[in-house]
Amino acid sequence: MKGFRYTIVFGGLALLVLFLLYPLSLVLDASLRVNGTGTLTLANYAQIFASKYYLGSIGNSLLAATLAALGATLIGTPLAFCLARVDMPGKTVLLTLATLPLVLPSFVAAYALVLLFGHAGVVTTGLREIGVPIGPIYGLPGITIVFLLTLYPYVLLPSIAGFRAIDISIEEAARNLGGSRLHAFRTVLLPVAMPAVLAGALLVFIEALENFGVPVVLAEDRPFLAVDIFKLFAGEAENNPAAAGALSVLLIAGTAVALVIQRRYLSRRRFATNARAAPPPLPLSPGWRMLATVFSWGIVALSLLPFIAVLFISFLHFRGPVLTWQLAFSNYSMLLEGSFRPLYNSLLLATITAVVATLLGAPIGYIVTRHRGALSTGLDMIGMIPFAVSGTVLAIGLIIAFNSGILVLTGGWLILVIAYVVRKLPFCIRSSSAIVHQIEPSLEEASINLGVPPLRTFVTLTVPLMASGLIGGMILVWITAASELSSTIVLYTSRWSTMTVRMYHFLEGGEGAGSASAAAAILILFTAAPLLLIHRRVRRQDDPML
Amino acid sequence: MTTIRLDRVSRTFGSVRAVDNVSATIEEGKLFTLLGPSGCGKTTLLRMIAGFADVEAGSIWFGDRRIDTLPAHRRNTGMVFQNYAIFPNLTVQDNVAYGLRARKVRTTDIRARVDKALERVRLVGYGARWPHQLSGGQLQRVAIARVLVIEPSVLLFDEPLSNLDAQLRVQMRVEIRQLQQSLGLTTIYVTHDQEEALAISDRIAILRSGKIEQIGSPEEIYQRPQTAFVAEFLGGTNMLPGIAGKFDGRTTEVAACGTTISVVGKVADAGQKLFLSIRPEALRVAEHSDSPVLHAKLVLREFLGQIQRLHASLPDGTQIRVSTLGSRHVAAVGAALALAYDPAQVIVYPGH
Repeated sequence: MKGFRYTIVFGGLALLVLFLLYPLSLVLDASLRVNGTGTLTLANYAQIFASKYYLGSIGNSLLAATLAALGATLIGTPLAFCLARVDMPGKTVLLTLATLPLVLPSFVAAYALVLLFGHAGVVTTGLREIGVPIGPIYGLPGITIVFLLTLYPYVLLPSIAGFRAIDISIEEAARNLGGSRLHAFRTVLLPVAMPAVLAGALLVFIEALENFGVPVVLAEDRPFLAVDIFKLFAGEAENNPAAAGALSVLLIAGTAVALVIQRRYLSRRRFATNARAAPPPLPLSPGWRMLATVFSWGIVALSLLPFIAVLFISFLHFRGPVLTWQLAFSNYSMLLEGSFRPLYNSLLLATITAVVATLLGAPIGYIVTRHRGALSTGLDMIGMIPFAVSGTVLAIGLIIAFNSGILVLTGGWLILVIAYVVRKLPFCIRSSSAIVHQIEPSLEEASINLGVPPLRTFVTLTVPLMASGLIGGMILVWITAASELSSTIVLYTSRWSTMTVRMYHFLEGGEGAGSASAAAAILILFTAAPLLLIHRRVRRQDDPML
Repeated sequence: MTTIRLDRVSRTFGSVRAVDNVSATIEEGKLFTLLGPSGCGKTTLLRMIAGFADVEAGSIWFGDRRIDTLPAHRRNTGMVFQNYAIFPNLTVQDNVAYGLRARKVRTTDIRARVDKALERVRLVGYGARWPHQLSGGQLQRVAIARVLVIEPSVLLFDEPLSNLDAQLRVQMRVEIRQLQQSLGLTTIYVTHDQEEALAISDRIAILRSGKIEQIGSPEEIYQRPQTAFVAEFLGGTNMLPGIAGKFDGRTTEVAACGTTISVVGKVADAGQKLFLSIRPEALRVAEHSDSPVLHAKLVLREFLGQIQRLHASLPDGTQIRVSTLGSRHVAAVGAALALAYDPAQVIVYPGH
């Protein structure tokens, strides 16, 4: 068992150093050199801070992320309280639907907004025809709305857990001491759930800051950090790897600070109240219950509306970029007449990623949970770093690192899988660790005590106990890998293009609105269908990332 | 100062009658204990008084004020919860001040009253601490200070000591009793621990399946249990099935467990089935005795310090328990024992 432990710890550390820390250090290095390769300098940073454009880019990204975090908190907290404490029709279904935006590709939602409210959007043109002037939704408003609608579950899920973890006696004590229900909510329930709420809000902030797909679709010519990094590194016109590196380092710094604040905050406030059972539903009058039901269903429906609109529009005929009201499969035939290759690539890469990430993450999660020590704590911390690194930045690092030298990976499928696996590893480790937490250590001790050696106990007892949870996590990894855009867009080659890249090109070209909608619809089906099929299993473990 | 009156109070959960037509009066300033096995309805009854469980039928009165129709936060009861229910987001002093703030007491008064309450539970200087920095016993004291400070009409305790270790439990129950007596607050106390109930109560109600089995002072309930259930639940008596024999004018001979046991008075007609209750401490190990004796064989000896408990088997194999002083020397396991008893201390219950 000791050998197994060291193999996992050192193997995990080696992989993370090679495919995460080393590439990131090269990005940092590039940011500190003239033109990315010359002598050491701070000029790249000076250039950024002297440039109105880049400061605008940083400002826009921070503002959108902050607004998204605030909005998600304002929507997610009351929704969480309703879902945790109000009896309402279809609550199980609602909970499942509410988790969907987390895995549905957010740039598809952004695209839906373009289809509905863009320059030639369905709603925009429709309103103009009847004489209502409406401005297009590009830039900060559109981006914030999409972030809000796709990221609010990051606040919702931990907040539901937070409200459910408050033992009913806490509320009863408040009422017994003379507080009304509202008073008890304001003075006790909300403050006790607050750490969970804020933890979720910081996650929204991080995710929004890193996000590439939404601004790339909706920013038009307004500067956004994640998009600028990509353009500076991969763009033909304004290629400047040193500036890309410097912006990347600033982006990582921003997310890392948010992550550290989150961890610090959580470690100082742990309001565990050890609920023996989830608190019972509130006795509400029919009017209030109706209000809560309409509010909850309304929010969830609104967040899914863009995806439903895309599904619908994908079956309408486009004449060039112009949408007609004719039902047709022309978008799909156009999308697939070129080649099935990108579809096949997406499925293959996602499958390999899901298997590899789970096989790596599960034992690491087990060891960092069961065997606390300096090495495993270090592994746990390094394993969380990918979370603070945007896909684009990691991909840039991988390209710099493995474009030449002993190990050349660029241009193949392996580098895509490596990027995906590294990005999904924090999720796999957290998910496995959450599962292990739920398995009583005494079970394993009983097995060892009865004469089964530790390693065999792990294989024959622990692994089967973890299996169902791991499969749920694996499917989530598969879904998110299949709809990955931010690192794929840097790393793909024409041989290894994916559905997301195809969709990006259709959008960029402007011509292929029809094909893009078909690609988006296919992505939605690939992400939503498996999740809805396994919804019970996924809900049980909620999102261990949180 | 409040008299509590429960008038034919009932509550059902599904098909289970959790509280079944319970009536009782708790006099002003008394500590009244609801005692019974788990699921007997004692906690439900307490929660009905606090306002956390609905009263389906009947009424609850504090003095001449009916309170079961008031919402929980208007009843002015002070409840100490099993898990203390200390607000984890508030410091000790803010926890104690909670009820005062809800009552909109002036800030200047709050300070003084909180300090006094903390002093009363011997937590001076702990005001600024956070709940997670306190031990179980200290949390318990905060919970008590928090309800004392609002000067409640009645105090309600829901198994308050069950999360503490044995030594602290004994210490805390003394503190609770002394506080309650010095403040003269009418108190209802729920527990499943019979020793705790006997130690601190003015009166005890034994509950079984939602019904009150017996109400009385600790002494009455222990010495004169009215039903076999009460006798067995309290103090773990030896309950022996038997058949009544002839009455000789002074005692009745009862055939039980392969021997004959004398009981004072004519307890039943000859041939009738009955149960005999003999408390473990009513039996004495004796070589020579004027009293009647039971002949038994020692099976097991449990040494408990001050006392020892002997398990002995009667002629038909039925095991009985005998309590004697721990210092007393007894025969080896397997040896014969003569157990003397006083027929007046044998209590008879009707057989099934």
